Amino acid sequence: MRSPFAYISRRGPLQSARPGAAVAYLGALVVVAFLYSSPVVLLAAGLAACLAGRLAGARSAVRAALRMGFALALLIVVVNGLVVDRGETVLARLGHLPILGQVDITLEAIVAGVSIGLRAAVTMIAFGVYSACVDPDRVLRALRPIAARSALTATLVSRLVPVAAADAGRLRDAARLRGPGAAAVGRGALARRLLAGSLDRAVDVAATLELRGYSLRGPRGRRRREPSRYDARFYAVAAVVLAAAILGKAAGADDFHPYPTVHVGLGPATLAVCAVVLASGLAPWRGLRRQRSGRRHDERPQGRRSAGRRAEVPRSEATADAGGAGVLRV
Amino acid sequence: MPEARGCSVSELAIRRGVAPALAVERLSYAYPRAAAAALLDVSLEVAPGEFVLLAGRSASGKSTLLRAACGLVPHFHGGEVAGRVEVAGLDAIAAGPGELAAAVGYVAQDPETQVVSTTVAAEIELPLEMRGDGPGDRARAVEEVALALAIPHLLGRAVDTLSGGELQRVALAAALVTRPRLVLLDEPTSQLDPVSGDELIWLLRRLNEEWGVAVVLAEHRLERCLPAADRVVAVEAGRIGFDGAPREFLGWTRQMDPTLATPAARLFSLAGVEPLPVGVRDARRMLGEGGAPRAATAVPHPGKGLSGEISPPSRLSLLRKREKDPRALEAKGLWVELDSGGGPRDVLRGVDLTVAPGERVALMGRNGAGKSTLLRTAAGLIDPVAGRVAAERMALLTQNPGDFLVRERVGDELPGEAGIAALRAVGMEHAVDADPRDLSGGERQRLALAIALAGRLDGESVPGLVALDEPTRGMDRGRKDDLVALVDRLAAQGAAVVIATHDVEFAAEYAQRVVLLGDGVVIADGPSAEILSGGWYFATEVARVLDVPGVVTPEQGAAHLAAPASDFSGHIDHESSEAPEGRR
Repeated sequence: MRSPFAYISRRGPLQSARPGAAVAYLGALVVVAFLYSSPVVLLAAGLAACLAGRLAGARSAVRAALRMGFALALLIVVVNGLVVDRGETVLARLGHLPILGQVDITLEAIVAGVSIGLRAAVTMIAFGVYSACVDPDRVLRALRPIAARSALTATLVSRLVPVAAADAGRLRDAARLRGPGAAAVGRGALARRLLAGSLDRAVDVAATLELRGYSLRGPRGRRRREPSRYDARFYAVAAVVLAAAILGKAAGADDFHPYPTVHVGLGPATLAVCAVVLASGLAPWRGLRRQRSGRRHDERPQGRRSAGRRAEVPRSEATADAGGAGVLRV
Repeated sequence: MPEARGCSVSELAIRRGVAPALAVERLSYAYPRAAAAALLDVSLEVAPGEFVLLAGRSASGKSTLLRAACGLVPHFHGGEVAGRVEVAGLDAIAAGPGELAAAVGYVAQDPETQVVSTTVAAEIELPLEMRGDGPGDRARAVEEVALALAIPHLLGRAVDTLSGGELQRVALAAALVTRPRLVLLDEPTSQLDPVSGDELIWLLRRLNEEWGVAVVLAEHRLERCLPAADRVVAVEAGRIGFDGAPREFLGWTRQMDPTLATPAARLFSLAGVEPLPVGVRDARRMLGEGGAPRAATAVPHPGKGLSGEISPPSRLSLLRKREKDPRALEAKGLWVELDSGGGPRDVLRGVDLTVAPGERVALMGRNGAGKSTLLRTAAGLIDPVAGRVAAERMALLTQNPGDFLVRERVGDELPGEAGIAALRAVGMEHAVDADPRDLSGGERQRLALAIALAGRLDGESVPGLVALDEPTRGMDRGRKDDLVALVDRLAAQGAAVVIATHDVEFAAEYAQRVVLLGDGVVIADGPSAEILSGGWYFATEVARVLDVPGVVTPEQGAAHLAAPASDFSGHIDHESSEAPEGRR
């Protein structure tokens, strides 16, 4: 079972860019999310992150991040609605509840919760796109001269997370295959078994790192400068987004007050920031000609069977005889 | 190792081929808290450029010896060690695996745990980066090793999109990229199909000859590796039991451990032909020169009988015959589509298959042909996109029996009467109070099967379908014989048994029928003796030696060699449901 956030090597501007450029670009969207409270700007940032992910070919990651982000946002809205009693527009009076005391659900608290939830969702989408489009090996290579031990830990984690996901899938399958007369397996038992297996895996991976000479204290090889013609684009877009966000903030673009009554400003400054942020989502676009030729690799096969249910692929079969079809070298 | 980093005198001597690539002297080793030593007084020397095959039963100490040679023992595993291990002039016990990394490459059995990077190029480059090589040197070395192993097209791929065979090649590339003088491989072909396994062995032989790399290879499927080896070292209970030429080794197996003999050697032994052959080519040549009964020269294929006439595909007759019979498994027009992240693709394409109760079927095909997917779909783990599949009370044992074991007592896994009945069905009723972790590999497999069977038994009988996915990985012949006995027992109790396997010798031993899958479709289906003698890769060693349709086991081969040509009537009985005679 492959995680939707797992990095997949594709030919695309975001994947080809150096990690620093990609981090700067996606980081700029996250900065906007933390700088602003206006749901309109946050919505624009979220749409930009989704657009960037779609154009970079990370549809599964965007879908999964949207699901997780909206679930988290919903939780925040519910919690905020229950615990915050500020606001003048009372939608429901739930009376006295244990622990929470007197609970009044107000429109203002819900809207404030939406704002916080959108911020969390934008962050998750940006991280999902980063995870699916930025080669972790390149990130680790960049980190290694700065923090070797942290890079080692990150190497182990980045390798073991997909392996643990595959192990969890296998364990779930085995639990389903147990005969009706065998003892049932609960989530706790599965989690314990997964943990024990992960420790064994970690030991094996650590042994492999030892064999590759990771413990050597000798000079590390100089990093190869991997050229990319897209770095300038992403750095420029990040700079424009950050500049627009800061200037907009100073000019009052973050015109949002949830209390005592909801006020969402839609002035020229807000709309301008929204336009810039939204347009930044086009940065991973390859251009018309390349987009057309690249689509051949991304399209799902048509026909009666593509409408049917697809199953998660078991690691052993899925990877076998893939033969590289549709997978391109960076 | 670059000169600039300062080679020791001994390293330079190794580079000139003076010192041995590996020297082990009176090595004894015990794992921490182990009751017995894993290695006892082992002495061994491997010359530069030598190809050594390590033979031995499961848990005999082969893997421990390899781990000692690459420094993991004792540095990584701990334990008590005595003696001396020198690799390319370096003291392995003092230096440890990191220091040895430039001199020795190590490839383990499970390729999944041998990759630590996300992309193939990064994985291969990592040891060079650790060593401090410059970007230009690294790029060239990666390119060269990728070319040598025929994997340049994989360099940009993510490692978790590779097949087992591809991953094993990447692990080998990472081990070879530093141009070590010695490469150690621990059962590298155990998860590969016959084609990929053969390719890997001959790739090693080519690297051994062209690059002068000394190779030490531990394997159970000796028939695959013996022709490539210069020398065989047999490990018995932690000691060196034999050290000599491959042909002498075969003579030794006859006296000391017949389970290590190759099928061709068993064929010659049974037929009384001397000397024992090292491989298929050797056996064919000796049969031709020695005046022994000569094999048929025609190249057989499925559907061709002994007379040379083309008979109708036996599959049709089998299906026709069984149309009204009860069915343990029935698949009709089965299509399965899977998505590995790169878009959906068809893994099964219109598969039709019927298995009768009590039938023993081997499901074969190269990696990715759809064997596991077929079994998983039949067990309900995957939904088909078209067609249908029905399996009668199916118990599926997946590739890792350990996945079924989650508790610390066998009785807790299988409580009550249903549990006891399942344990009895696999002959494990004596182990109710044991901890599954204390069981042997074969016993753990039986226990996992009992867990899958629990509650699906009908009194003492085992109706329905029992399916096992690659159960013989890493097994020696003794354990495979135990598995064959278990399969016989289940079939005798009424169960249809379907085993997905790459092991043609095992399939010839246990199966009545072989279904060969290729790219998601059934490309051959018939009696095992017919299918396993009708090809090259999916054929037993005896079939490749004798080239006679229907002759796949050493016993059948010996009978064929002993009988006058006119008397031989070892034709394929398409309608028969009997197992190959040899086993009985």
